[in-house]
Amino acid sequence: MIALRHDNLGPGLVVFLLLCGGCVASWFLIQPTLWGTVEPGYDIERMVLYYSTLPRLATALLAGAALALSGALFQQVLRNPLADPTTLGVSAGANLALVVVSLFMPGLLGAGRDLVALLGSAAAAAIVVGFGARRGFSPYSLVLSGLVVSLWCGGLSAILTYLNQRYLASLFIWGAGSLAQQSWVIPLSLAWKIAGVAIVCALVIRPLSLLDLGESSSSSLGVKLARLRILVVGCAVTLAAFVTSAVGVIGFIGLVAPTLARLSGARRPVQMIVWSPLIGAALLFLTDSVLQLLAGGLGDFLPTGAVTAIFGSPLLLALLPWLKVRHRIQQAVVRQRQRRWSTRVPATVALAGMLVIVALSLFVGRGPGGGWTVLSGEFLHDILAIRAPKVFAALGSGAMLGVAGSILQRLTGNEMASPEVLGISAGATFGVAIALFAVAPGFAGQFAFAVTGAIMVLAVILLSSRRSNFAPERVLLAGIALSAMVDAVVGVLSSTGDPRAVLLMRWMSGSTYLVDGTTASVEVAIGAVLIALALAARRWLDILPLGAAPSSAVGIPLACSRLALFGLAGLMTAAATLTVGPLSFVGLMGPHLAREAGLTRALPQMVGAALIGGGLMVLADLIGRTAVAPYQIPAGLVSALIGAPFLMILLSRRQ
Amino acid sequence: MAMAERAQDAPDTTKAFAVDRIGLAIEGNAILSDVSLDFPAGEVVALVGHNGSGKSSLLKILARQLTPTTGSAAYGGRDLRHYHGRDFPRSVAYLPQDLGTGSDMTIRELVACGRYPWHGALGQFSAVDREKVEAAIAATHIEAFADRTVGTLSGGERQRAWIAMLIAQDARCLLLDEPTAALDIAHQVDVLSLVRKLAHEGGRSVVIVLHDINMAARFCDRIHALKGGRVVASGTPAEILVPETLHAIYGIEMEVISVPNLSNPLAYPC
Repeated sequence: MIALRHDNLGPGLVVFLLLCGGCVASWFLIQPTLWGTVEPGYDIERMVLYYSTLPRLATALLAGAALALSGALFQQVLRNPLADPTTLGVSAGANLALVVVSLFMPGLLGAGRDLVALLGSAAAAAIVVGFGARRGFSPYSLVLSGLVVSLWCGGLSAILTYLNQRYLASLFIWGAGSLAQQSWVIPLSLAWKIAGVAIVCALVIRPLSLLDLGESSSSSLGVKLARLRILVVGCAVTLAAFVTSAVGVIGFIGLVAPTLARLSGARRPVQMIVWSPLIGAALLFLTDSVLQLLAGGLGDFLPTGAVTAIFGSPLLLALLPWLKVRHRIQQAVVRQRQRRWSTRVPATVALAGMLVIVALSLFVGRGPGGGWTVLSGEFLHDILAIRAPKVFAALGSGAMLGVAGSILQRLTGNEMASPEVLGISAGATFGVAIALFAVAPGFAGQFAFAVTGAIMVLAVILLSSRRSNFAPERVLLAGIALSAMVDAVVGVLSSTGDPRAVLLMRWMSGSTYLVDGTTASVEVAIGAVLIALALAARRWLDILPLGAAPSSAVGIPLACSRLALFGLAGLMTAAATLTVGPLSFVGLMGPHLAREAGLTRALPQMVGAALIGGGLMVLADLIGRTAVAPYQIPAGLVSALIGAPFLMILLSRRQ
Repeated sequence: MAMAERAQDAPDTTKAFAVDRIGLAIEGNAILSDVSLDFPAGEVVALVGHNGSGKSSLLKILARQLTPTTGSAAYGGRDLRHYHGRDFPRSVAYLPQDLGTGSDMTIRELVACGRYPWHGALGQFSAVDREKVEAAIAATHIEAFADRTVGTLSGGERQRAWIAMLIAQDARCLLLDEPTAALDIAHQVDVLSLVRKLAHEGGRSVVIVLHDINMAARFCDRIHALKGGRVVASGTPAEILVPETLHAIYGIEMEVISVPNLSNPLAYPC
């Protein structure tokens, strides 16, 4: 019945072509062994074929199908063309759970890796979907909060791995999605589990296809919405958790396969759910066999998951113009409360708080014995000369991130937008990675590379969204795609086991350890200039959130002002990322806290965000320096660890 | 101060807008074709037509939100392409159909956004600006909730607040895209009376897109009707409200009935 329909030709052709490509590539892989002479007795070649190569190909097919099915289910139930285990943070949640358990409670792994992975991904899914439910499942809000969770989990597991690298080196390779196999155990067990979930899915296809009608229409037709949603999201999460627990995080298959299915003509939900897994299986099969061919002996260690992300994200970028996104910019949440105080009060409090934190940070520390000391007397000058640059660099970076976050949130009309999510931080990371691996320059050289990386990412984002007049949603999506790609490249570099990867990790965790006086003064100077520019653009930032049409109607040049503001946010992020790493989340927290305090207009909000962001960063640096003295926890890590959960609580508390 | 005076001595012509053989095609679909219309100064002109007739697109062309594929449009005798920078928003204010909740702004702050064409991105927010904002708030009778945030207002109040922003813009011409779309009948009458008063007592020209032909007839001086992207009728309400013309506009049989208290007859489908 299904095979007869005209609109199944396209997806069928895609599956056929992908499978053909995969078969050709895998033929080249196994052909030498097959054509070799059969030696009686002990034949290593043949054993590798039977117990490593073939299971690996089978695993690729199964994992691809499972991820694609998971992605298709997410997209259908959330009615969001961008949902998949990667963008919703589900895979990253499973990964983090496995990292944490293997580090701190290795005994639990005996109880079952699947269970641990399932718990992690379920927690991530609950946070993201719960957040999305309150925003009416608006695609951008959902994907943005998914990415925040994803970034946080990914960053945390990377840093945990870095701090405990002796124990977790192999976990890292696995974490980036390696399909290497030693036996048939994994593919066989995966096959049973996936089959089980697939049967459940088959039972709910009918009610699932009614969801396209919209919430009230489908429930009036008798669909039990809440139950269906929980069931389907549960299935999708389970699939992703099984795959993650078996082979690690394999990026973007769940996004690319349904997108390919849709573009090649699959239209109805049934078609999507049938064709996506087939395309996903063929796609991962092709990718993995080509990767094995090209990488040769290195293939076992080059994680396929990272490679799929490297190829998947440009594809996503290329597909952007064809994606029809029905929801426009999410409106700001309507709040019934009046403003309680004038803007001066919170601004003054923020300023005072920031000054106190800076003073504390400059003068309080822990002595060699572990006791708390207040700086005075003979060492004052010497110690201040070491401490002051770090404190002021943290202050400048935090302030810049806060202002960049306010600009991005105002431009995109989305409260989850931040420099981390826009991919600019990832661009700077990429620059530093290249610098460390290819050139190995000093700090100034790294600086140049980071700025180049950030500006290149920004340029690609802006170029790819130029046709839409820099419409915020396109800019965000382009940023998401690029940051995923950059993350994957960094993942590949790190999984090579190169000692320079450790340097990169240290930088990513946001340590102010290497900051000296010159760097700090450059940082503060850049910060002052850029923040002044941002404050000058306050009128644009006040009016632009009203929407494109009203803004241009009062004479704001849309393309020009958006370009300038995105550029400004990009520069600030690049400069700040250099000292505090790409994962501090201060750019998300600063503007939020400012707004919560009642600073709602552009100018007060930016000033407040700068003060709060700077204060938070200095506080994180202080905590990182003193908490486990004489060891240091990087400031970026501290603020991400404390800040992101805090922010999630803040957001979930408010209705 | 000098700028504020300049708004008052805009080129004095009898026509606010004049469009000449305008065509608009989006992705190959003709939205408007060969539209030539005049919009007299000081009048309230309604654009009516069925859904998808191109009336909103025409308004967007007047507001310079869309550029016509062929033909030209002029305001005050000057081609729209020859306006630069903030000249145009100083003369023409536009109210789009879908309005945001205004990002936590109070009404007064929202109305103050209308002063942007005068002070620009960096200019000082002067005493004149402040006066104009207060005057706009007074003209639309929204003093009572001027310090509440936009999100807390009801639909009718929000429309008034946005219209106040347009008035603060100090433009001689207002372009309104279905300002009554989501309002109940009492608020519709309320907003349209305000618009009519602003035009006739304030000397402004208004172009307004309306769904309801009876509302258009009651509050507007002139009606331009579009169908399938072409002009099908144009004239005073009395000239439009005849069964043949209504049939030409909406494609269904319609009758009119005269009502004692109203100057124009009422139209209804039969």
